[in-house]
Amino acid sequence: MQGSSFRRSSVAGLPAGSGSALPALLLVGLFFIVPVVALLLRSVTDPEPGLQNYAALFGSDTYVRVFLNTFLVATVVTAVTILVAFPVAWMLAIMPPAPGSIVFGIIILSMWTNLLTRTYAWMVLLQRTGVINRALMGLGIIHEPLPLINNLAGVTIGMVYIMLPFMILPLVGTLRAIDPMTLRAAALCGASPFEAFRRILLPLSLPGIAAGGLMVFVMSLGYFVTPALLGGTSNMMLAEMIAQTVQSLLNWGLGSAAAFVLLVVTMALYAIQLHLVGARRAGGGL
Amino acid sequence: MKLILTGLLAGLLTATAAKADEMAFTSWGGTTQEAQTKSWAAPFEASSGIKVLQDGPTDYGKLKAMVDAGNVTWDVVDVEMDFAIKAAKDGLLEPIDYAVVPKADLDPRFSNEHAVGSFYYSFVLAWNKGAVSGEPIGWADMFDTKKFPGKRTFYKWSAPGVIEIALLADGVPADKLYPLDLDRAFKKLDTIKSDIVWWGGGAESQQLIASGEAAFGQLWNGRVFALQQDGTDVGVAWKQNLTAADVLVVPKGAKNKDSAMKFLAAATSPTGQAKFAEASGYAPINTKAKAEMPADAVKALPDAHVDGQINLDMNYWAEHRDEIATRWYAWQTK
Repeated sequence: MQGSSFRRSSVAGLPAGSGSALPALLLVGLFFIVPVVALLLRSVTDPEPGLQNYAALFGSDTYVRVFLNTFLVATVVTAVTILVAFPVAWMLAIMPPAPGSIVFGIIILSMWTNLLTRTYAWMVLLQRTGVINRALMGLGIIHEPLPLINNLAGVTIGMVYIMLPFMILPLVGTLRAIDPMTLRAAALCGASPFEAFRRILLPLSLPGIAAGGLMVFVMSLGYFVTPALLGGTSNMMLAEMIAQTVQSLLNWGLGSAAAFVLLVVTMALYAIQLHLVGARRAGGGL
Repeated sequence: MKLILTGLLAGLLTATAAKADEMAFTSWGGTTQEAQTKSWAAPFEASSGIKVLQDGPTDYGKLKAMVDAGNVTWDVVDVEMDFAIKAAKDGLLEPIDYAVVPKADLDPRFSNEHAVGSFYYSFVLAWNKGAVSGEPIGWADMFDTKKFPGKRTFYKWSAPGVIEIALLADGVPADKLYPLDLDRAFKKLDTIKSDIVWWGGGAESQQLIASGEAAFGQLWNGRVFALQQDGTDVGVAWKQNLTAADVLVVPKGAKNKDSAMKFLAAATSPTGQAKFAEASGYAPINTKAKAEMPADAVKALPDAHVDGQINLDMNYWAEHRDEIATRWYAWQTK
């Protein structure tokens, strides 16, 4: 289709009609590309030209630890999100359309609620004096409050909750495209339900898991509000550290360098994701 | 294209350009800024005809960005004293025009060439009476997890206060605090690290104590005062209370400098200071203010607890800010 109906403008080699895209391109350039270039420039010029900010960044135990923490949290969040999302996605995929769209609506609805509000709600639930601990202690199941907040558990719970829709949506697409007959065929051939899951469903749904997982991972890397409120300082993530460096220490060079490194990592992961999604499309997954 | 850009920029500039009868005041939000609005901005608007726009919260990065970009939209900013000293050195602040701001009655501890006192406060030990059995009396009790079990809350950021508390609890005499022995302080803090819940802002500190999520902690005295005014059953220990100050500064290149100086004169006047102190529980930096306050309001101030009171050394902090912060975050994230 492309070669035939795609008219090329004879003047600049741009597709015809690209003139009307100019405002959009201008917008992207002005508000996305210029700031990123400025960020990069600042990281190698502030306070003086050179790579000293990057040297300081990778030479600092604190920053290296915060980087590792950031990846650890993102990994844990992604893994838990996949585990929770898979059954939900499967249920949605095999549900009749009418009740299915209601469940879908509920999941989407949670995304429309303000992020800060949702995080505060989790604080109220997870605190030592919060609803969950009080209920469990009232029932006599535990005697000491469980440490559910200001630690990795708190960050994971809060972030998985926020990330779930981003995992469920691509996964449902993939799962719906799997012919249910393949599972029946496996059963007829004597496969146990687990065997059918492991050898049929899981491999076929891998593209969806990979796409959703990478999206969740990439989004988790830059998270600020939820880790700041539900995490402890020993799980401090990079975004919060950058905010401190820039706001309080006024070390913009170092903050820019850290932000740029995070951006490069994120872009690299995003490139992988694009590649995977492309592969899935080519394979007829969607 | 160039024309469009020029037009756009011109539009932006006129939109943010100063109006003769307006200025922007920025502070930390919450109960503190409410008191500042009521005690300073409202009477000033009435007497001068200059409208005071409220903004916030104070953000040092934003302040620097405004000055660097030459587009300063804040005219008066409430900042911490150690930041003001450093910012003045970095050329981020306008000098205070003491021809407009009367200096004679200002406490010299809290005013200098580029900053005039806003109020001063104490870090005190506050506890939720429902969550603590017994009565903690000093900083050492915050490190005694046997006698006082439960979570304790401290200020999260690298700032004057927690390091000094750790050293005092470890037995360093008040007059030997500076230069700060960071190794000793972190070693002491290590002993309770897993019991610490950090608060990042005043409202959070109030919430932690009021809910009993943290049994006790290091709080700004004004925030404890506000809790008590609300009827929360909170105890407070003033022993070795640590004073520090907030100051008002004018960012370099502020568009309404003249109005800003007039505002500073009103805010630091005996009446302005007395009203704010009464509303907030923070101490006035004008020595004549207390004469204008009701006697029981004076009793709530840090001034009523000067016995054993310790002044946090803001000059020391201004000089060692970055060095301490590096150590602080390295320890905290470990």
